[in-house]
Amino acid sequence: MDITFSPAEQQFRAECRDWLHDNVPDQRRPMDAADALDFDKAWQRRLFDAGWAGINWPTEYGGRGLSIVQQVIWLEEYANANAPWIGANFVGVNHGGPTLILNASDAQKAYHLPRILRGEAIWCQGFSEPGAGSDLAGIKTRGRIEGNELVITGSKIWTSFAHVADWQELVLRTEEGSQRHKGLSWVICPMHAPGIEVRTIRKMSGQTEFAQVFYDDVRIPLDNVVGGLCNGWKVAMSTLSFERGTGFIADQVKQSEEVEELLERARQTGALKDDRIAEQLAQLRAEVAALRAMTYRNISQVVRTGQPGAESSVIRLFTSELGQRLERMALLLAGDDILDFRYGDDNLVAEYLRGFAATIAGGTAQIQRDIIAERLLGLPKSR
Amino acid sequence: MDLTPNDEQVSFISATAKWCADNLPLDGARSRPPALWQQLEAMGWTGMTAPGMDLDHATEALVLAELGRHLAPIALLSTAVTARWAGQPGKTALALLDKDLTGGLVRVFDAPGATHALGLVGGLAAITPLPSDLGGEPGLDLTVPLAHLDPAPPFSPIGGPDAGLHLQLLAAAFAVGCADAARDMAAEYAKLREQFDRPIGWFQALKHICSDSAVRCEVARSQLYYAAGALDAGDPGAAFHIAAAKQLADQAALENARANVQVHGGIGMTDEAAPHLCLKRAHLLSFIAPVRRDILLGEAA
Ligand SMILES: Cc1cc2nc3c(=O)[nH]c(=O)nc-3n(C[C@H](O)[C@H](O)[C@H](O)COP(=O)(O)OP(=O)(O)OC[C@H]3O[C@@H](n4cnc5c(N)ncnc54)[C@H](O)[C@@H]3O)c2cc1C
Repeated sequence: MDITFSPAEQQFRAECRDWLHDNVPDQRRPMDAADALDFDKAWQRRLFDAGWAGINWPTEYGGRGLSIVQQVIWLEEYANANAPWIGANFVGVNHGGPTLILNASDAQKAYHLPRILRGEAIWCQGFSEPGAGSDLAGIKTRGRIEGNELVITGSKIWTSFAHVADWQELVLRTEEGSQRHKGLSWVICPMHAPGIEVRTIRKMSGQTEFAQVFYDDVRIPLDNVVGGLCNGWKVAMSTLSFERGTGFIADQVKQSEEVEELLERARQTGALKDDRIAEQLAQLRAEVAALRAMTYRNISQVVRTGQPGAESSVIRLFTSELGQRLERMALLLAGDDILDFRYGDDNLVAEYLRGFAATIAGGTAQIQRDIIAERLLGLPKSR
Repeated sequence: MDLTPNDEQVSFISATAKWCADNLPLDGARSRPPALWQQLEAMGWTGMTAPGMDLDHATEALVLAELGRHLAPIALLSTAVTARWAGQPGKTALALLDKDLTGGLVRVFDAPGATHALGLVGGLAAITPLPSDLGGEPGLDLTVPLAHLDPAPPFSPIGGPDAGLHLQLLAAAFAVGCADAARDMAAEYAKLREQFDRPIGWFQALKHICSDSAVRCEVARSQLYYAAGALDAGDPGAAFHIAAAKQLADQAALENARANVQVHGGIGMTDEAAPHLCLKRAHLLSFIAPVRRDILLGEAA
């Protein structure tokens, strides 16, 4: 065991830091959806041009082919530099792209991966349905095979970025009459195809970042199936493992920045003299340190064995609840100023309200606890 | 950067785990054989931290977490610190001093066979010679003989500030082991015990108690590894990282021990069953090198 970084890794860190110092935009990510999209695309393009997109993606698809350790160093410096959230590029970069790298055909990879990295193609995730949330295997959206086309009918919901996306990771039932995990396929669905309607949904934070998507006889090429027809459950599980695993490293790193900001605020306002607040901040600081240690331990495991340990599900649950504890601390320090919150404000209240997603989206905290008990401790399956 | 045990460390851990499984069953922690300390000496665990051995803190923490999982003798902690910083061979008991540090009462744990006791005086490690006949009776922690010295004898410091950190790190390692033991005991029982015609671990209410224990273990263990590495690397943040490890390890040990009693139901709160042994050990560990809040907040002078 060794907590120190090699000279080459330190050199890489210095390069990240220098570039970010000169290039992080002064402007905050806009609140307006259309402006935010332009902002996200331009920023992703800049990252790509400078070689910071896809640090651990294969070089043949526009990545740098470096290790996950370098990816983490980049994300640490990214958070330190207060660089913007990757926004609409989240799905493509964090789990759509990685799913394609693992499961897609050469032609699919060659077309999509560089576009994702360059910020030219925005992706969204069509897994959840009105009747299939935690119980994802209850998917009812159907794809009927006609010649070399799939004809899609049904609906997806809570689809983040659906209103701005070009492509979708769509999981649907391609075998008539199939049940549960069988007969599903993971397909690349063009969001601009005729028959697709997107109705945005407003969150309690005021933003309209997700939507319900309706499919009315939408025709897409059968070639868009990824990882084989009716093999969708397996491909979807790999998507979720990226979404729940490496996809959250950026959030984890950000939390260590946040706790220092909270401490500074508590010092300035004198709130730190309150014993309860001091106690909670001390605890949060210890927890954030442990989260970083867990992340390092997990990526060390990836470097050593090629895959993350069973602790990934633990990290995911711990980060999501820790993030919410940090948001509640910010709220406590703000006092009754939070009562002035209005839709459109981009502040700690909006963060707090959006933060409820951490224990719901990508598998609820309850489902995560089931997974930990069943896979890590071997307790009997109850679902 | 690598926060996983290397091959050598893995073999250390598995050798320790195997020996403990054969010789230190947790449910026998109240009646250890009189020659246990000599056996531990023969296995090399009492002298492994001596200056000539060049053992890093990471390996030491890994081995002590295994021993801690079996509620091994508490004097292993004080003996390891004394061996490293005073080069002193033989058993050293563990002393807990009064808060005000002047006079008052000293509690001495695991005194039989020990020539000295080690405690923290104002955060610094310090030792005192012990009367040769100091024995002790079990207190709250039924696995450890406890004796009192009143008034406190004079203590002389050993090592520098790192010796105090070393004790805190090792106590954290013991607490991580204790938390693991409680987690595993609960999970095992939840698979075996049946009510309503199924294992009680089928019920989510219990399942989630167990997964929360697992989360606390992983969190504390990860920070323990980082803290040990920080002490090895001479990292300026070592004091903070060790404090964080101790804080999270103490919480994991205590909360997992309580959860384990709950998962066991009625039998869980009996003298006969093992869960209270972990609970009581967790309470004892929380008083060894306790965490200072100013260090966690990065405000220590
Ligand atoms: C901000 C946000 C963004 C999202 N983005 C996307 C997206 O881009 N694409 C996408 O496909 N989906 C997305 N989702 C959907 C998300 O994956 C689902 O909300 C989630 O899986 C839960 O499903 P549900 O909302 O139907 O809740 P339900 O499954 O109905 O759950 C309701 C409650 O019941 C509990 N529950 C359900 N089953 C069990 C059980 N077996 N044991 C114990 N408790 C149980 C849940 O934990 C929860 O507390 C998003 C959600 C949010 C909040």
